[in-house]
Amino acid sequence: MSNILEVKNLTTHYFTAEGPAEAAGDVSFSVRKGEMLGLIGESGCGKSTVASSILRLIEYPGNIVSGEVVLDGKDLVSAKEKELEKIRWKDISVIPQSAMNSLNPVYTIGDQIIESILLHEDVTKKVALERTKSLLELVGIDKDRWKSYPHEFSGGMKQRVAIAMALSCNPKLIISDESTTGLDVLTQAQVMALMKDLQKRLDLSIIMISHDLPLVTSVCDRIAIMYAGKIVEWASTDDIVNDSRHPYSQGLLNATPDLLNPDKEVSSIPGTVPNLVNLPSGCRFKERCQYAMNRCSEESPALLEVKKDHHVACFLEEGDYRE
Amino acid sequence: MSKYMLQKIAQYGIVIFIILTLNFLLPRLMPGNPLMYLAGEDVGFMTSEEKQQVLEDAGLNDPLYVQYGSYLKDMFTGNFGYSYQQKMPIIELLSDRIPWTLLLAGLNLVIATILGVIFGAISAWKRGTRTDVNMLTFFMFLSAMPSFWIGMILVSIFAGTLGWLPVFGAETGWSNYTGWERVVDITKHLILPLVSLVLISVTNVFMTMRYSMLNVLGEDYIKMAKAKGVKNRTIKYRHAMRNALLPVATVFMLSLGFMLSGATVIETVFAYPGVGRLMFESVLARDYPLIQATFLIITLSVIVANFIADLMYPFLDPKVGKSNG
Repeated sequence: MSNILEVKNLTTHYFTAEGPAEAAGDVSFSVRKGEMLGLIGESGCGKSTVASSILRLIEYPGNIVSGEVVLDGKDLVSAKEKELEKIRWKDISVIPQSAMNSLNPVYTIGDQIIESILLHEDVTKKVALERTKSLLELVGIDKDRWKSYPHEFSGGMKQRVAIAMALSCNPKLIISDESTTGLDVLTQAQVMALMKDLQKRLDLSIIMISHDLPLVTSVCDRIAIMYAGKIVEWASTDDIVNDSRHPYSQGLLNATPDLLNPDKEVSSIPGTVPNLVNLPSGCRFKERCQYAMNRCSEESPALLEVKKDHHVACFLEEGDYRE
Repeated sequence: MSKYMLQKIAQYGIVIFIILTLNFLLPRLMPGNPLMYLAGEDVGFMTSEEKQQVLEDAGLNDPLYVQYGSYLKDMFTGNFGYSYQQKMPIIELLSDRIPWTLLLAGLNLVIATILGVIFGAISAWKRGTRTDVNMLTFFMFLSAMPSFWIGMILVSIFAGTLGWLPVFGAETGWSNYTGWERVVDITKHLILPLVSLVLISVTNVFMTMRYSMLNVLGEDYIKMAKAKGVKNRTIKYRHAMRNALLPVATVFMLSLGFMLSGATVIETVFAYPGVGRLMFESVLARDYPLIQATFLIITLSVIVANFIADLMYPFLDPKVGKSNG
């Protein structure tokens, strides 16, 4: 399977008053065609920074310091703003963190979907409207509601509108940034099911950003786990759930209750996430890690492939790998 | 017509009726001699027959409900009574003065709003830069200056020292300018009071626009528009401006209501024959019928402006008028 998108050694800093905060440090991963990749981690670990960096939508005072984001052999980090305007939405679209606030309150949702179509395709307004109607039907909204304003929809419906909008230009890749976070559990499940269904039917490639491990494991093909701006483990969902190698991934799994196994003992990871401005030297997880060694303070573990398609950034695995 | 509008019309009808009634009752509830109210200080020189005659002419010997009926009839036919100070029917005084105020305050409202919106938007787009800080400082400085003071400074420079513009009035007295000549004359008289008014009122619009624009620029739908590949220019005008203008529209509508009375100080400084100055003169002269009529007109104009605002809002903001209509 070919890669749609490759992120190589991406480093993004926020230049705060206290100093640069490394929200994404040397992040590398790739997305395959027709794949749903989960990018997970706790709040502030840099998931959304990675998402914004891909489309170069990092806001002041943030900036991409180094690295490449390669889409179809073209590096987006070095692309001109004019070229990016064409790539945004046409090639990569976004289902935003808060669909509630991501729709402009003074225009109808139809206008907003039509706007994105007309921006990127040379079609008449009539054609765009017809496509808007069929997109709305695709996500389960009555097609005549294109005339409605955002405030006339419920939260779940707005999320559906956002999905329809993300699909409007048949993008190569969709980034879903915590797109179901604000919804109640039932609506969340419906929207997730819709996304999974569309992904299979339309062979979409999706990066699913979330802090919800069970949610991501239920829909994604592969999962990358982030901690304090670094990817610590990246593997197939099956490997993450049954054969996780990084102490942080194991800690995350242990911290998740299991409905089918109520006897499971849920434990939290001791300590707190380090401050991104004053990062400790070496491995960023070492202060919370029960296996920490001297070497962990001296150098930073690289993300290495420990077996086919299973990448881990931990010295424990490095030993195994070399043997 | 929608249910929303019918509701609003009914509400405003009731408010106007209550105001007219209060306007009728208040002078009758106030202590003191109605003769004083009707004839001013001339009362001291009247014989008792003359006093009776004045009361009889004013209908004050009739029962209250008859007085109320004829009062309402007067109001709807524009008969506001007689100003004993100016020796003229009040309706004539008002219709002489209102156009001048509408010219002065109306132009001010339009110009100050346009300038405030443009500079406020630029300031917000360039937040934190030198341009933003300079603009902010300049407008704060302007708003700290008293209006009469700005007026006097302008008069002393442009009318006094330089002698470019006339000192007072709305047009040259005793002149027989017609057509184009008259327009030029009126414009010359208008410049100084208009500039002073704009200088005073522009800061309010500027601050509202800047703040509102900053809020809107931080909204997720602006980020979304950027992610959609919308050009920066289009984001500014189509996505940001449209939303940021809503609070400015509110400020505009409020100012619309106070247009007749808002220029009182400047009209007085420049002896501009507007409603504000008429009000000021009538208070000084204790010309009660005139005071009452001027206040009534100003109150009604506030109501009318609110009504216009209510009718406009559903078109400006789609959230208004549908859910509660």
